[in-house]
Amino acid sequence: MSTGDRPKMHDQTGCFDPNTTGESVPSLKDNFPQTLPPSSPMVVVGNTTTNSINNSLEENLRLSVEELSCNHHNPQHQQDHVSTYASGVTATSIEIPLPQHLGLNMGNSYINNNNNMDNHLVQEVIDAFPYQQSTWDPTIVQELQDMAYANHTEQTQQQQQNEQQFQQFETQNCSQSYNNPSSILDPPYPSPDLLNLLHMPRCSASSLLTNPSICLTNPTQNTPNFQNPMAFLGDLPIGSENTSASSVLYDPLFHLNLPPQPPALRELFQSLPRGYSLPTNSRNGSLFGGGDEMEGDGSQLDMGVLEFNRVTLTPSVGKGRRGKATKHFATEKQRREQLNGKYKILRNLIPSPTKTDRASVVGDAIDYIRELIRTVNELKLLVEKKRYAKDRCKRPKTEEDAAESCNIKPFGDPDGGIRTSWLQRKSKDSEVDVRIIDDDVTIKLFQRKKINCLLFVSKVLDELQLELHHVAGGHVGEYCSFLFNSKIMEGSSVYASAIANRVIDVLDSQYAAAVPHTNSY
Amino acid sequence: MSLDEFSFNAENGSNRERMRRKNYDYDTQVFKSKNLEVERRRREKLSTRILLLRSLVPIITMQQPLELHLMNKATIVEDAITYIETQQNIVQSLSYELHEMEATSEEIKPKKEEIDAAEEMNKLGIVQATKIDGNKLWVKMIIEKKRGRFKKLMEAMDNIGIELIDTNVTTLKKAYLVTTFMQVTLGKIGIFVMDIVWGN
Repeated sequence: MSTGDRPKMHDQTGCFDPNTTGESVPSLKDNFPQTLPPSSPMVVVGNTTTNSINNSLEENLRLSVEELSCNHHNPQHQQDHVSTYASGVTATSIEIPLPQHLGLNMGNSYINNNNNMDNHLVQEVIDAFPYQQSTWDPTIVQELQDMAYANHTEQTQQQQQNEQQFQQFETQNCSQSYNNPSSILDPPYPSPDLLNLLHMPRCSASSLLTNPSICLTNPTQNTPNFQNPMAFLGDLPIGSENTSASSVLYDPLFHLNLPPQPPALRELFQSLPRGYSLPTNSRNGSLFGGGDEMEGDGSQLDMGVLEFNRVTLTPSVGKGRRGKATKHFATEKQRREQLNGKYKILRNLIPSPTKTDRASVVGDAIDYIRELIRTVNELKLLVEKKRYAKDRCKRPKTEEDAAESCNIKPFGDPDGGIRTSWLQRKSKDSEVDVRIIDDDVTIKLFQRKKINCLLFVSKVLDELQLELHHVAGGHVGEYCSFLFNSKIMEGSSVYASAIANRVIDVLDSQYAAAVPHTNSY
Repeated sequence: MSLDEFSFNAENGSNRERMRRKNYDYDTQVFKSKNLEVERRRREKLSTRILLLRSLVPIITMQQPLELHLMNKATIVEDAITYIETQQNIVQSLSYELHEMEATSEEIKPKKEEIDAAEEMNKLGIVQATKIDGNKLWVKMIIEKKRGRFKKLMEAMDNIGIELIDTNVTTLKKAYLVTTFMQVTLGKIGIFVMDIVWGN
């Protein structure tokens, strides 16, 4: 194919020059005698019915190509600026229209449509009159062929098709989108000389499979050109004889079948499913539509394909919607349950929660995390100090050793740094605030009921090896409040959370013990 | 905006109110929901704290849609839970280590001593007492500074039945200055003790 395309391109460039330089009328006159000689030997040979039908279609191609060649060049220069021209071969004709079709779909600008319409109409006016003269002779030839080879069944099918075509013709006049497909179809076709030259070797060389493809493509592209002058004039061409009049009526109806299918997307039952399918599928649909005239089986295949498209599209949409709705509902419920569960777990971890709403839980978590960070830092510092002190003094410590370690203490400070931490604990009736700066401990105590706080706290301080320095406090109404300033004895490993927890536990236990006492009292 | 519309529709479902809601879109002064400001503050409060919690917790669990899960509330709360548990484990291990080191270095011997109230009072250095009311006594004491002495004093007071209402303890170099406002709760013993103290 690649090697075959190159000489075709060369031929196209050769043919392009005489068209541009010469006038339209002389070109038609030159082409006119070329059309007759190939048809006569075909008739003389007397091929099968399929071949005769192919020949009639080819003649229609030649006539329509005369207009196509003029329309072909101008739109390409203005729109596409493409130097290459489509050849008459079916393979290239099938390949080239698709990208143009896609390109036009991409650029659906209003201006381009207007330009196409104007150019198209002007060319129709110029070509209308000489076209009529040329149309009479091939129609007569076509009539003779049809009379010779037509069957009763074919006639009945054609009559039905004629009725459909007539209806489509009316709808076509009403629709404004008629010109778009014609502009799409016009560019691919070259001058008739190329067709004459290329069809001869193609028909002789190609197999039977290639011929049906040629037949399918030909009628779709013939009909719009033939109909345009008829619609433009408004009247049918004048026929002196009855047979010629019937033949003229036959031709537009014959061609009406094909072109309105692509433009009328949602008007007819066949065109509706094409809206669902891709543009390539619509191309195939038009091909199947062309096949209706050739064979009855083609229409059945076309219907089957279209129905299959309908069946496949609808349930997938339904499945998608149902699945999403169910999945979304279940996911949302699980998400909320998990979030509530996590908030509960978080609240249980906090030692003294305040309220149950989410903002309070998050606030308490923030405070507790900060407290944990301070505690971890404090404990790490103590561990380091302990190791340093242990390495320094390996002897077991007694009171005398404690005095000696006081002397050693200044050396320890720069390594460990100054220790700082603070802590707060609350219970039902007690509140304890502990602050530690290096060796000094400040304990602030606040309790509701009257019990001898001073005694119990002093006991705790002795247990924790804290040396008492200053105490201040007393009873105020139902509450008692005390402030203790103490000092950590050397060798003690106490830390803020331990002090606070111990003090609160003692106070709560004593308070619980005091309740029966008050009852007895 | 969608949340405001949702809460608004929840309150008022009639067409009449819907017309008013349309007015709300154009001119905010025409209508305001009762709960608009309260709900706005509540949501702002919670979101602010969530952001602060996210900044405190260094753990970030990432899943495929990163933008979605990074700021997801469930993920933030889960990470906070994980971090708190981790820190608690660290605290336990460090405190255990401290106790082990302390146990190897020292052995604390608990000493049990019986307290004799009368003898304890005799050991006191200087005692000044001023009788204020029938049951109340202002006492000023100077005690030798030793470990556990203040505790013993408190225990003695408690055994006697004296309640300390206001107390100040100040430490000088090697002495406690105890200023106490006492109140006697029990009858017989209290009088006896007061006589002794007053006599001294």
